[in-house]
Amino acid sequence: MSSAVHRPTSPLELLVRVNALQAWRRVKAVRKQSRLLSSLIGFFVIGYVTLAFWLFCNGLRFVAKFPGFGPLLVDRLMFLLFAFLFVLLLFSNLVISYTNLFRNQEAAFLLSLPVSPQTIFRWKFLESTLLASWAFLFLIAPLLAAYGLTHHVAWHFYLATPALIALFIVLPAVAGSWVAMNVARYLDRRAFQIMAVSLALLALACAGVWWRTETVTDEMLETRVLAVLDRLLMKTRFAQFALLPSYWLSSGVLQWSEGALAAAGFFALVLLSYALFFGSLAFTRTGGLFYEAFSAVQSRGSAFWQWTWFQAWRNRRRNFTFSRGAVETVIGCLRCVPADTRALLVKDIRVFWRDTTQWGQTLVLFGLLGAYILNLRHFSQQLNNPFWVHLVSFLNLGACSLNLATLTTRFVYPQFSLEGKRLWIVGMAPLGMARVVRSKFLLACAASLLVTLGLMWLSCHMLRMPFSRTIYFAVAVTLMTTTLNGLAVGLGVLYPNFKEDNPGKIVSGFGGTFCLVLSFLYIVASVTLLAFGSPWPWARGSVSSLPLMLGCWAAFALLSALLGWLPLKLSLRRVLSFEP
Amino acid sequence: MIELVHLVKRYGDLLAVNDITLTIPRGEFFAVLGPNAAGKTTTIRILAGLIKPTSGSARVAGFDVQTSPLEARRRLAYVPDFPFLYDKLTPWEFFRFTGQLFRMSEADIQSSARELIARFSLEPFLGKPIEGLSHGTRQRVAIVSALLHAPEVLVLDEPMVGLDPHHSRVLKDILKERSGRGMTVFVSTHQLSVAEEMADRIGIIHQGRLLAVGTREELRRRSGVEGALENTFLALTEEEANFAAEKIGAK
Repeated sequence: MSSAVHRPTSPLELLVRVNALQAWRRVKAVRKQSRLLSSLIGFFVIGYVTLAFWLFCNGLRFVAKFPGFGPLLVDRLMFLLFAFLFVLLLFSNLVISYTNLFRNQEAAFLLSLPVSPQTIFRWKFLESTLLASWAFLFLIAPLLAAYGLTHHVAWHFYLATPALIALFIVLPAVAGSWVAMNVARYLDRRAFQIMAVSLALLALACAGVWWRTETVTDEMLETRVLAVLDRLLMKTRFAQFALLPSYWLSSGVLQWSEGALAAAGFFALVLLSYALFFGSLAFTRTGGLFYEAFSAVQSRGSAFWQWTWFQAWRNRRRNFTFSRGAVETVIGCLRCVPADTRALLVKDIRVFWRDTTQWGQTLVLFGLLGAYILNLRHFSQQLNNPFWVHLVSFLNLGACSLNLATLTTRFVYPQFSLEGKRLWIVGMAPLGMARVVRSKFLLACAASLLVTLGLMWLSCHMLRMPFSRTIYFAVAVTLMTTTLNGLAVGLGVLYPNFKEDNPGKIVSGFGGTFCLVLSFLYIVASVTLLAFGSPWPWARGSVSSLPLMLGCWAAFALLSALLGWLPLKLSLRRVLSFEP
Repeated sequence: MIELVHLVKRYGDLLAVNDITLTIPRGEFFAVLGPNAAGKTTTIRILAGLIKPTSGSARVAGFDVQTSPLEARRRLAYVPDFPFLYDKLTPWEFFRFTGQLFRMSEADIQSSARELIARFSLEPFLGKPIEGLSHGTRQRVAIVSALLHAPEVLVLDEPMVGLDPHHSRVLKDILKERSGRGMTVFVSTHQLSVAEEMADRIGIIHQGRLLAVGTREELRRRSGVEGALENTFLALTEEEANFAAEKIGAK
């Protein structure tokens, strides 16, 4: 080897350079892959920013007009928003740091090279912070712009705020990576699950106690508005806890917008000092634990293995009984379904159940919607008005369908591509790809309908709607569920990606984006048509016209057929000449 | 050059590596054989510094992989069974990246890479993104990047998988040449022909234990079975399995 003197590039710089090059090529590949896809992404980004900015502007103006309390309410909303976003950022950083440090091939590859664990951690910390925080920046940018506009702030507000936010995101990133490191060192999967569920239950209980419903009588609303509002605002005081980083950020932003630069500067310095202190700890100390934590994750048995009850349970499981299992027994009862299709159904159900991310995300999305619908009973005052009942019922239909569209795009769309990877078994089996596609569609519909029909029934029940209207929504949501699943399955076959194992990457291609966009447009159009074609009047005394009703329903049915049945039909035709 | 001293690795209640002691001198080609889940990959991962041993130590070129990890890794190259490559980089960019991580000068990267690229016929792929390369070509890229800094110790896990006969031959020739020049090679493989043809010594691991170490002839004598290495391997591992079954029965 030559002995020429050269200055070696720092490994961190090399890693940043290589990964930046990779990221840039990914962006270029999207543009090259399809102009339509890049245009769609661009359209949605601009559309989101414009719409969010407009909504935030109007929302802030509306709240600010509240007599006597307007500015206070706006301020409190900002504190609350940043407090919740801080918690979300913490979770996001924890999950992404853990995955990025301990379930990542690059980290393992780098550990076998002469790169110190500290350097690997530094790179992964930077990467995780970016991955976990970009959505936060995207979300709040229109809000802060709207806030600036409605409060007529000075020009330097728009320069100072990004700097404050840049300092702020360091803190949840440091905390998230530190917690991820310690979870990896000390907790195995089962212990972590038990701890996470216990903490979630504790947090729910605390939230339940703190936000329990306040009884407010009509008389109090009429005569003691200030006292009532004060009681409500007390519930939001936690967001102004002085040691919360979100409090420093909110205070800094609010003070700056009011021109109180000294006070704003104080909060900026508080943020800066904490970001520097904890940032330097992360950069110089936390990485020292990385190798030990990585090795612990790779070497782990169960945390319970030393306990006799666990060993007895494990031994019982080791004594294999060759039984069919619960899922197979239940599906086996469907005698009308051919045995090979039943086998496929059993496989899909087992894969779904054993993939925590699939049912975890489903549970979170629909659980939140369910919790919101259950709480509709507290809006008894407004729900005496037919207009509000009507509006809320259609909004619930829209929210339910939007949740479903997210899940069908995320989980149903990549199914065929993933099956293509396993073509040696499923594709070569004598059941034919058309039956595989059909069975996936039917299974996805059946599973989705269990949730969407349940939620719409709950919504109608909470809104005290008569049976006839419940049936109306049941029919509508059934048709929408079928369409969304047909669209996801159909486009999944028409735009397959057999190179990827990761469903997330399959979805991020052209077909997945197209599926999400079409699903959202379909939902907006359908809910609008159904609302206008509703046989029940929006206000007392108004009458719905029959031609309008029929026209709207015909358009809804046609749209459903076009976006649900057609892609499915085309996909079934496509699989006949399928060549992976 | 490679020293494993009373190496033990536990995954909870599972004993994956059971008190392995082994010394492989400089320039030796050592092949390790064993059935599935015998503990070969775990041993390699400890050697590469990816996981900590429960007890015992592993040394590469005189450096303990736990206490002097960077010194050990500077002298080591490791090619896993499914190597990680940056998909959006080209092979040439990837070689430059790994060379720079090993602090090689520009001239060294150029000269070392050119020779290996020619021998592994990678010229047509140098400017193409790695994501578009076939499994075998990716394997060649990984091997070239491992050999680039002329490591003193090369650890390979199933290196022949995906390689066509021509490039398998090229790899075998390069490994033979380099071990002749002092590079220690530690290969884990299921292809007994590779061990038979290439290895100076062979180790057989079964259920975490190093059952036997020796030259082809020494192992044959120990097993008491004539014929191909396959017969020796099966005899030794069956003997161990019967012994383990007897122990369980006695308990």
